[in-house]
Amino acid sequence: MIRDYYNRHALDEKLRGAPRPAGVNHLAIAHRQAVAMVLAQAGEEDTVQRALSQTTEFILRFCASGEWLVVSENDTPEGLQRRLDALCAGRAYIVDQSEARVLFRLSGPSTRRILAKGVGLDLHPAAFATGASANALCGHVAVNLARTGDDTFELIAPRSFAESLFDDLMAMGREYDLTAAFAG
Amino acid sequence: MASLITCPHCGVRPKEEFSIRGDASLVRPAPTASDEAWHYYVYVRANPRGRTHEHWQHVAGCRRFLVVERDTYTHEVHSVTDGAVVARENGR
Repeated sequence: MIRDYYNRHALDEKLRGAPRPAGVNHLAIAHRQAVAMVLAQAGEEDTVQRALSQTTEFILRFCASGEWLVVSENDTPEGLQRRLDALCAGRAYIVDQSEARVLFRLSGPSTRRILAKGVGLDLHPAAFATGASANALCGHVAVNLARTGDDTFELIAPRSFAESLFDDLMAMGREYDLTAAFAG
Repeated sequence: MASLITCPHCGVRPKEEFSIRGDASLVRPAPTASDEAWHYYVYVRANPRGRTHEHWQHVAGCRRFLVVERDTYTHEVHSVTDGAVVARENGR
């Protein structure tokens, strides 16, 4: 059997069938987004961070010191790579992760209680404010967790763990009637 | 065991996010050092009671190697430093 992985989303099988209408607590899975990893060369961390934070066209997600995930909703993967290459001017290694990562967007009034079942981080706004991001363990999967609003969080997980994380998140959200669908 | 580690890059995290990579106080002998010195470096470990320095890798977070100074008796964590910073301070 020939499978065309390039055109197949990691969660196609999980989300097959007619989507349920989105509930109050909803898990949206981005279908197309550009994600790139930027790793600054030793000693160039501050320069790269300054260069990347100049623009507002893409979102910067903190992974480690000198390492970020860059997420863009509008760019193509190739476009994002070119743009980052130009911005960093050889001071950082840039690797396209668009096909390697799956982006989960969790929204609704119970998101913090849902995430508390799998994430060991303090997600109170005083400790993890809007715009904050960090790598963390969700269940047994290492993800990049970001707060994009008061009650919205984004998780970026490796593609091969996406189905497992999806099942975990749905189990965590079952009590709160979590629904899931691909983002329009 | 200490259950919360304050990672210098990620903040307070549960110990499940880390992987313990052994004694951080050992110094690698010179390549030409005696077999005995290498034997001690590779195989012989103490099981201390009290303060120890250990390498902890934040595998589910920033993936950096950290040097954690903790007490094996009281489970208190005294300090957490990035491994690269410790190596620089020791001139390695």
